[in-house]
Amino acid sequence: MSSSAPPAGRPVFTGLGVLSAFGAGLAPLAAATATAGAGFAEVTRFDVARRGTRRAALLADPPPLAAAVLGAVADAHRQAELPDGAPLLLALHSDLHTREVAAEVSKGATALGLAGVTRVYTGACVAAATALADAAAMVGSGRHPRVLVAAGHLVEPGVFAAFDAGRALARDGALRPFSAGRSGTLLGDAAVAAVVEAADAAAGRGARPLARLAGWGRSGDAHHVCRPRPDGAGVARAARSALARAGVAPSEVGYVNANGTGSPMSDLAEARALREVFGDALAGLPVSSSKSVHGHALEASALLELAVTIGALDSGRLPVNAGWLGPDPEIGLNLVLAGPRTDARPRYALSLNSAFGGANTALLVAAA
Amino acid sequence: MNPLHTLATANWPPGEPPPPLPGFSASDFNPLVAAVADLCLTDHYGEPRPDSPGEPRRTALLLASAGGDRATALAIDTGATRHRMPPLLFFQSNPNAVLGHIAARWGLTGPVVAISPADAAAPGEVPPDAMELATLLLADGDADQVLVISAEQPEQPDQPDQPAEQPDNAGHATAVLVTA
Repeated sequence: MSSSAPPAGRPVFTGLGVLSAFGAGLAPLAAATATAGAGFAEVTRFDVARRGTRRAALLADPPPLAAAVLGAVADAHRQAELPDGAPLLLALHSDLHTREVAAEVSKGATALGLAGVTRVYTGACVAAATALADAAAMVGSGRHPRVLVAAGHLVEPGVFAAFDAGRALARDGALRPFSAGRSGTLLGDAAVAAVVEAADAAAGRGARPLARLAGWGRSGDAHHVCRPRPDGAGVARAARSALARAGVAPSEVGYVNANGTGSPMSDLAEARALREVFGDALAGLPVSSSKSVHGHALEASALLELAVTIGALDSGRLPVNAGWLGPDPEIGLNLVLAGPRTDARPRYALSLNSAFGGANTALLVAAA
Repeated sequence: MNPLHTLATANWPPGEPPPPLPGFSASDFNPLVAAVADLCLTDHYGEPRPDSPGEPRRTALLLASAGGDRATALAIDTGATRHRMPPLLFFQSNPNAVLGHIAARWGLTGPVVAISPADAAAPGEVPPDAMELATLLLADGDADQVLVISAEQPEQPDQPDQPAEQPDNAGHATAVLVTA
């Protein structure tokens, strides 16, 4: 049983800045995910001639990483009309440039009136979700009235080659989460920022919430260096923690933005986790992985998928699980596939992420 | 904030190479993290308890390293320019991987977190921000204890084929197991 602390001050989102393979802003990303307009193409940014997989979802002409992150930060800051002094939690890949990029982002953030980068998260594919959970904990416990969370990942030759060598990339060049014939993931560019603010602080200054962060949960598999626990128990524990913190029943969740990397093993473990949490209700619960459209943005993935989820709650148009070839009999999910649907607009959506080390995170997002 | 209670502390002897860690290559960083974690957890829990049933240990893992695994990062950058990338580098391309090893070996089911503080902690210490984050994690409710690990490698040479260890510039690691 989780003992997740319910938030004293309810966290809401009051600003969002997005840069994805589809360009700047949430609108082009939301349009692509709602119509299965996958953004994958042959990589020309660097030489991929020696790689087994050569596709990714990339911006045509990306700015340097620090500038990309600062662009998203500035957009979120502007949308929230953010008062001065908020700390910035930043998620980045851990490499030889991490400190330099963080310092540049911190300098630019300070110029915007923020308190600068106060912590850098490097925990792979849950880095941004971990930062969001910490921001929510900071806001919920009254430590800060508002916290800005940002993350950036631009596909570069080293990580691409390492993922290729590790046979993690889809050999057929398509990301097919939960589908028969799935063979791996594809990488994608992203720089995203979100303002997490206490609901009463936002109301006090007349800021309009875009959505609420109703609950969050984190867990570890205690299983393996990089493989997920096959029964999905760790993912289920994170999801239950998020639901318990929010006081929301599984039956109230109307959409799941799954981690769904397209990996044969981890997609199956995640499907088992969802069955464990939602039981019989899973048959009617729409599930998709928007990675199938925008790619896997690693340290930025959870923020990118949060943005997609907020967009879906706002518009009622659920992200499509693209790349689907047919059912995998072991998966058994109600996937959001291309074509007409009659789903009700969700009140609550769950966004899941998992990473190496058996790290799992769950963010429960509620319509504003 | 309430002060944390320290359950165990360990330091890896500076300059002493950690034992090799199966499945990890090219860098002493991951073996260093695993070795200091083992010292600290042995002090508190006794024997490892890999992936077995029993009362779950809701212990979070929090790795703080200003420099990160620079030897692996350099090996990845170098591999990308050469004909072949060693596949093991994929598995250790982020700091979570070694935390997964520790979690599986000791049956730790709490959150798995990695941060990069702006400044490296001095030998024998952990960064103040890591302790602040441990306090937040405990208050947030998904963990009963936090194993905070601070690890720094020596500065790396420009080429991965050159030796990294310098007797007067050794890596260091400290682990502290805390609870609220």
